[in-house]
Amino acid sequence: MAKDLVSTLADLKEQEALKIVEGRLSAGEEPLKILEDARKAMELVGKRFASSEYFMPDLVYSGEILKAVTDMVKPRMSKEAEIKRVGKVVFGTVAGDIHDIGKDIVVFMLDVNGFEVYDLGVDVPAQKFVEKIKESGAPIVGLSGFLALAFDSMKQTIEAIQAAGLRDNVKVMIGGGQISEEIRKYTGADAYGLDAMAGVSLAKKWAGAG
Amino acid sequence: MPAIRDIPLSLKTGEVLRRQGFRGHSKIRPEIKNLILELLATVENTHLLEPAVAYEYYQVTGMSSGQVSLEGDKAIHGSLLPTIFPEAKELAALVCTIGPKLEKQVTDYSKSGETLRGMILDGIGSAAVDMLAPEACRLIASRATSHGHQTSSPVSPGWPGLPLTEQWNLFELVNTQEIGVSLTASGIMVPRKSVSMVIGIGPQMATWTRAEVCTRCSLRKTCPYRIQA
Repeated sequence: MAKDLVSTLADLKEQEALKIVEGRLSAGEEPLKILEDARKAMELVGKRFASSEYFMPDLVYSGEILKAVTDMVKPRMSKEAEIKRVGKVVFGTVAGDIHDIGKDIVVFMLDVNGFEVYDLGVDVPAQKFVEKIKESGAPIVGLSGFLALAFDSMKQTIEAIQAAGLRDNVKVMIGGGQISEEIRKYTGADAYGLDAMAGVSLAKKWAGAG
Repeated sequence: MPAIRDIPLSLKTGEVLRRQGFRGHSKIRPEIKNLILELLATVENTHLLEPAVAYEYYQVTGMSSGQVSLEGDKAIHGSLLPTIFPEAKELAALVCTIGPKLEKQVTDYSKSGETLRGMILDGIGSAAVDMLAPEACRLIASRATSHGHQTSSPVSPGWPGLPLTEQWNLFELVNTQEIGVSLTASGIMVPRKSVSMVIGIGPQMATWTRAEVCTRCSLRKTCPYRIQA
């Protein structure tokens, strides 16, 4: 049974996967076990995305199925067994840039992969990142920017985090259309991701869940 | 200053897939394909695309290594234009947009947790702009041909040798208010699904394909939207 959910979800067979979950819940199975299988399935999805067997819409589709599974399982969980969040992430598109779709996809994928995400939106001033890091205590920060003009803004945001004395407490990832290792060095970020899956992998690694 | 609307755009699934980062070796899941087809139908039935092009012609009055001088004491700065079309007699400045409706729908989908729909609709918007730009170029080419001239392929601010700061300059050359396109303080076009371009016009103009542009781009190895020859 367990293998079925893993392979069915990894194969992105939404209705079948949800039917399996329903059956296992009706049979009184421990909800956390179901979520553990869902997590294994997502690992397979990640591998298939990395090998180009899946492309971005498949990845987001898998996230939507996982969200549906989580929504089914959650009400059956006892308070003690509530789903533990993997970690906290402050995320936003940096000041001067208003592109949101890439940011929204990464936020969604982080969320369904168990992170508590503070989505600050687009055109976010550096100080707003600083305030949210202080307030939330999030150890991970994601800076998104689609155009080359975002690079200076990313650099200024990281400098503001540094000036606030928070740089040693957080890992910063950057992402967007034009990002490379050169840009990472220029901005002072710890790492960069070329797609949503890379962002999730980095966050998992930094949260010790990878 | 001329502006045209009601440009028919016939969107194809292949272009939409490219804008989703599809590279040809992935399988297209029926659910994804059906969603693309459904959203393409939605775009058409609810008139989410409002394609419009504003453009203007300028006589070239001078050319140096760092700028093209235009009639009316105007100029476009940077080394790119003098390099790629030194013999241009005239220059067309254009701004094209698909309007704000599609972007609003993308935001609504994202806000309501329909991330996949939002993502695919956003890709449809990008594909629509990709299709609109060549239509606008054809319009310029048609006039040039009737004058016995050729047109260059288009270039846009942000290309090496044509700084992004020239975006403001270009917006001075075209009446973008006519089509509802403006610039943010940082130079991003709103609606975002817009494109600005400059085309050289003259007896002999250089042309290049979109795939050739991709091969010269610094992101040619990693860009998920690159076009392969």
